[in-house]
Amino acid sequence: MTQDTQAGVLGVPKKKTTSAFARVARFMGIRAVTLLFTVVIGVYTTILIANMGGYVDTIMRNDIRERVNQRVAASTANQNISPETRRQMANDLVALEEKRLGLDTPFAIRSFRYLFNALQLNLGRAQNMVSDNGSREVRNIILERLPATLLLMGTSQLFLFFFSVFIALTLSRSYGSFWDKLVITLSPTSAAPPWFYGIFFILLFAAVFKILPFGGMVDAPVPDNTFDYILNVLKHLILPASSLIISSLFLSIYNWRTFFLIYSSEDYVDMAKAKGLPSRDIERRYILRPTLPTIITNFALLVIGLWTGAIITETVFLWPGLGRTLFRAIGFFDTPVIVGSTIIYAYLLAITVFLLDFVYVLVDPRVKVGGGK
Amino acid sequence: MFKKSFTFAFALLIIASMVLAACQPAQTTPTEAPVVEPTAVEQPTAEVVPTEVPTPEVVQTTRKGGWLDEIVFSVVASDSALTQIEAGAIDIYANGLSSKDLPAIKDAGVSYSTSSGLYYDILYNPAGPEFTDGRFNPFSNRKIREATNWLFDRDYINQEVYAGGGLAKFFAITTQFPDYADLADVARKLESYYAYNFDKAKEVITAEMEGMGATLVDGKWMYKDAPVTLIYIIRNDSDGTRIPIGEYTAAQFEALGFTVDRQMKKGSEASPIWIGSDPVEGQWHLYTAAWSATVLDRDQSNIFQEMYLDSSAQGIPAFLDNVSDPEFKELGDRLATADFATLQERHDMMARALELSLQDSLQVFLIDGKQFTPYANGMVATADLAAGIEGAQIYPYTLRWADQEGGTVRWATQDLFAEPWNPIAGSNWAFDQGAIRATQSGDIMYDPYTGLLWPLRIEKADVVVKEGLPVGKTLDWVNLEFAPEITVPADAWIDWDAANQVFVTVGEKNPEGLTALRKTTLYYPADMFETVKWHDGANLSLADFVFGMIMTFDRAKPESAIYDAQAEPQFLPFQENFRGFKIVSTEPLVIEYYSDTYSLDAELNIPLMFPTYTFGEGSWDTMAVANAAEAGGELAYSVDKALEKEIEQTSFIGGPSLEVLAKYLDQAIADKTIPYAPTMSAYLTADEAVARYEALKAWYGEHNNFMVGTGPYFVDQAFLTEKTLTLKHFEDYPDLADRWSNFGEPKLAVVELDGPGQVKIGEEATFDVFVTFKDAAYPAAEIKQVKFLLYNAQGEIVKVAEAVAVEDGQYSVVLDTATTAALEAGSNKLEVAIVPFTVSQPTFASVEFVTAP
Repeated sequence: MTQDTQAGVLGVPKKKTTSAFARVARFMGIRAVTLLFTVVIGVYTTILIANMGGYVDTIMRNDIRERVNQRVAASTANQNISPETRRQMANDLVALEEKRLGLDTPFAIRSFRYLFNALQLNLGRAQNMVSDNGSREVRNIILERLPATLLLMGTSQLFLFFFSVFIALTLSRSYGSFWDKLVITLSPTSAAPPWFYGIFFILLFAAVFKILPFGGMVDAPVPDNTFDYILNVLKHLILPASSLIISSLFLSIYNWRTFFLIYSSEDYVDMAKAKGLPSRDIERRYILRPTLPTIITNFALLVIGLWTGAIITETVFLWPGLGRTLFRAIGFFDTPVIVGSTIIYAYLLAITVFLLDFVYVLVDPRVKVGGGK
Repeated sequence: MFKKSFTFAFALLIIASMVLAACQPAQTTPTEAPVVEPTAVEQPTAEVVPTEVPTPEVVQTTRKGGWLDEIVFSVVASDSALTQIEAGAIDIYANGLSSKDLPAIKDAGVSYSTSSGLYYDILYNPAGPEFTDGRFNPFSNRKIREATNWLFDRDYINQEVYAGGGLAKFFAITTQFPDYADLADVARKLESYYAYNFDKAKEVITAEMEGMGATLVDGKWMYKDAPVTLIYIIRNDSDGTRIPIGEYTAAQFEALGFTVDRQMKKGSEASPIWIGSDPVEGQWHLYTAAWSATVLDRDQSNIFQEMYLDSSAQGIPAFLDNVSDPEFKELGDRLATADFATLQERHDMMARALELSLQDSLQVFLIDGKQFTPYANGMVATADLAAGIEGAQIYPYTLRWADQEGGTVRWATQDLFAEPWNPIAGSNWAFDQGAIRATQSGDIMYDPYTGLLWPLRIEKADVVVKEGLPVGKTLDWVNLEFAPEITVPADAWIDWDAANQVFVTVGEKNPEGLTALRKTTLYYPADMFETVKWHDGANLSLADFVFGMIMTFDRAKPESAIYDAQAEPQFLPFQENFRGFKIVSTEPLVIEYYSDTYSLDAELNIPLMFPTYTFGEGSWDTMAVANAAEAGGELAYSVDKALEKEIEQTSFIGGPSLEVLAKYLDQAIADKTIPYAPTMSAYLTADEAVARYEALKAWYGEHNNFMVGTGPYFVDQAFLTEKTLTLKHFEDYPDLADRWSNFGEPKLAVVELDGPGQVKIGEEATFDVFVTFKDAAYPAAEIKQVKFLLYNAQGEIVKVAEAVAVEDGQYSVVLDTATTAALEAGSNKLEVAIVPFTVSQPTFASVEFVTAP
C-alpha cells in the first residue's frame, strides 16, 4: 500500500527518472559504439600505414634475403661447400625467417589478425624488437619502458601544467605588468623544440661545468642502495625534464594567461571586484570555475599524452622511454609493437573522451548528458 | 616604451644566441693532409718464424687474469662520445667512429686505434643491353663498366668525403689484408693502369656506346630517340657518406652525357629495388653498395666468386645475371673451392683474377673505409686490425691503465642487451659480444695483427693434412705434417643418436672405413682440470667438453627434445665435411679431430673443442638447465623457435628466463640429473652433478644471472633497462695478467727511403731503406719481405724486385745500369713495400727522382 502510494506519488518524477536514465543509457551506448568504431578505424589505418599497405612485406623479404645471403657467404667462405648446398642453406634460412615473421600469410589476412588481436588487447609478440630484459612480448616491451616515461613525462608535463596555470592565473589578474610583458616576450622561445634545449643544456652542464650527466637514466655502475639510486635517477632527470619544461613553459603560460584574461574581463568578475571580494576568491570562484571544463579536458589529454613519450628528447638523453621504443619499432617495421602502442593510446583516449562528457556535467551545471542537439 | 623595446631586444638576443649555439658544429672538422696508411697483411707461407708464445714486455707481475678490477659498460650516443671522453665521463667509445670523424678525434687530442670499416663501391645492373621495356642499359657492357674505373677519382673521394681517413680501393680483396700484401706489385701495377683518367673513360665509353647504337646528341646520350637515363639508387642512411659518393659519381656520368635520375633511399627502401627486382625489369642501373670485413681474413680466395660471379654466395639477382668472361668465371670458381696445388699456383691465379675482376667490374670498388676507436689518454687497449677493440678477442687480457694494476675502465658503446644472451643462438651484436668476450676464454687466441691463432688453453697442436694440399705454417707452436692418406679411426665419434642419446661411431656409420683430408690433434695441459675454474668456483671438467660435443649435433636432430629447425641449415655444411672426433686421452686431455675442410695456414686448422659455443661459454650444468627448460617447452635458445612456440628466448643475463632457469635448476638438484645420461654418466656422477648445480645456484643467488664463464672477468651486475653492466676481475683465472702484454700495440713498420734526387740514365743508383718501430731498428728476422716497385715517367711499373738486407732495419735497393738505361728522361718513382711477420699490414713509402741523360 505504502509502496503503491509512493509509486503513485512519485509517479511523475519516476517517469522523469526513467526517461533520464534511458537518455543517458542511449547516449552512453551511442557514444561507446561511435568511439569503438573510431578506434577500429584508427587502429586499422595505423596497421595499413605501418605496413605501407603491405609493401613492408616486400621490404622485409628483401632484407631477409640480404641478411641471410651475407650470413651464409660469411659462414661458408672457403669451406669447400658447393654452390648448390650453399643456396639450399640460404633458401632454408630465408624460409624459416619468413615463416617466423608471418610472411607466409598474405598481408590482408594478417592485417585483420593484427586488428582483432589488438582490439582484444592481445598484444602478442614483437617481430624484430626485444625488450631490454630479453622478452619478445609486446606487453613486456611496453611495460618495462612505462615507468621511465611516466617519470620523465609525468614530472615535466605535470609541473608544466600546474605551474603554467598558476602563473597564468596570476598574470591574467595583472595584465600589462612587467612580468606579463616578459612572459609575452619570451613566449617565442617555445619555437625551439625540447631537444634543442637538451643539446644546449648537455653542452653547458655536462660538457663544460661537468655537474650533471650527459644522459641515461642512472650512473654506471648503478648505486647499490635504493636511496642512492633514487637520488641518482633524479640527478639524471634534471636535464631532460628541464628541456621539456623550458621549451614549452612561456608559451603555455601565455596561452593560459590569454584564456583566463577573457574570463577575467567578464562583467560578473568586475561586479565581484566592485563588491570587494578578495582576489583569491575572484580567481577561484569567478575565473577558475567557468574555465574548469577546459582545464580538465586539457589535463586529461595531457595525462594520456604521457603515454606517447618524447621521441627526440628521449633519444638525445638516451632516456629509456616509450618514445624511443615506438621510434625503433617504426624503424624496424615492427607492426605488433606499433599496433600495441597505438591501441593502448586509442583506448585511453576513447575512455577519456567518454568520461569527460560526464565530468562536464559534474563541474558545469549547464551541461546535460545527451541533452545536446 | 623603452622597457617594451628593451624586453623585445632582450628576447631576440636570447633566441639568436641559442640559434647560433645550435648551428655551431659540436666539433670542428677541418680537412687534413692525405694520410698514407700502412696497408695489408702477410700471406700464408711455408716459412717458419721462430716464435714462442708472446713474451711479456712489461714488468713481471703476480696478478692473474685481467689488469683491471672492474669494467663498467654503459650506452652513449656516438655524437657525444668524444665530448664525453674529453669531459672524463667515459674512458672509451668501443663501438668506434667512422673515417669522417677522424679530424674531430685528432682535434680532441684523445688516443685512438684504427681498424677496418665499411668498404664502398658501385654495383652495376648487368642486364640488357635492353630492359624488358626497351630502355637501354649501358652497364650490360663489361667494357663500359671497366671504363668507369677511370671515371672516378678515388683519391678525391677519400679526401672530400673521408678527410683522407680511408684508402683508395680498386679490388674486392681488402687493401689491409694479407692477400693484398702478397699481390702488392700486381695490385700497384693495376692501380696505376686504372688511375683516374676522365678522358680515357670518355673515349672508351663513347666508342662502346656508339657501338651499341647510342648517339650523342647535343651532349646527351640518346638511344632510340630517348635520352639514356641512368636510375641511380643512392643510399642516404648508414654513415651518410654514400650521399656525396653518389653525387660525385652521378656528376661524372652527367659529364659524359648521361642523364642521371638520382634516387636517394634508405636501406629498406633500396633493397626491394636492387635485391628484390629482376635486373631485366630495369628498376635500377647502379647502386651505392657497401660491404664490411670484420675479421682479419688471411685467405680471400673466394672473394672473386662472391663479389662478381653468378655462383656468388650473395645469391642476389644482379650477381646471378652477370655473364662474366669464361676465364674469370672458371678462375673465380676454382679459387673459391681451393682448386690449386701450391701456394705459388694460388698466387698466380689470384694475380690473374685481380686483373680480370677489373675487366668485369660488376662492382667498381672505391674506398676502403676505416673505423677509429677513441679512448682516454693513458689507457692501453689492443685493437684487432679488422675488428677494432670491441671485436678483439684479446682486449680483455690487455685492457689497462698504463703502468697500473687494477682500476676501472668506463666502457661506452652504442647499445647493450639488444637481444637475449645465450651461448647457442643469443645476441650476436658487436656491443653485446664485446662484453661477453671478456667473460670467456677458450682453446686459442686470435692474433689481432696477423689473423693467425695462438694457443690459449691448449698447449700445442699437430696438424696432418693430405699430401698435395697447399697448407703452410708460420708459427712453431703447431706441427704440420703431410700424409698420403688420413684414416679416421673406427671408434671416433661422427654423429649423434638423439633418440638413444649416444654417439655414433665411424665404424657404425661407415663400416667400409673413412678417410679425411685433415686431422688435428689438440693437447691440453695436464693440470687443466685443477687450474681452470668456472666463475661459480667449479672446476672445468671433461664433462664440459663432452657436453659441448653433444651440443654440436643434438639441436639439429628431429628426435631430440631440444630440436630446433633453425639449427639445421647451419648443421648441413658442417656435416658435409665433418669426419669425426675422438678423445684419445683424458689425463692430459688429448682430442683428435678429422675433417675435409682445411685452411691454408696450419694455425687456422684448429677446431674449437673448449666449451665455448658460438655466442659465449657455457658450463655443462648451465647448458643442461637451459636444455631442460627448452625440452619443457618454456624457453628456446633461438628466436625462431621462441616465436613459433610462443615462449621466451633463453637469456642468461636477465629477464623472464631467469625464473624459469632457476626453477629447472632446482629440479635438477632435486632429481640429481645427469644430462644425456647414457653418454654423460661415463664422465659424471650424480653427486658431482649436484655439486655443480649447487655452485650454479649460489652464483645465481649472488649475481642474479647465469653468465658463468672461465674468462678473466665475470658479470657482477647487469641492469637491462638502464643499460649498464659491471664486469669484475676474476681472481681464480689461471694465467698471469701479462701473458698477452706483447700485443699492446701493433708493430707497424715506419719506413724512410733515401737516395739520389737525380740519376743519370745508364748509371747504377742505390737507395737506402730504413725500417724502424718506435725509433728502433726493425729486426730483419721479423720482416718477411721488402719489395720495391719502380715507376717510369709515364707512371708505369717497369720493375718489381726485392730489396737486399744490409742489417737490422736497413735495406738497399740497387737500380742497375740496365734498369736505369731503360728509363726515359723525366720524373720517376721508387716505392717500397715492407711486409712484416708480426703484423699483417705492410707499410709503403716512396721517393721520386729525376732521370737525365
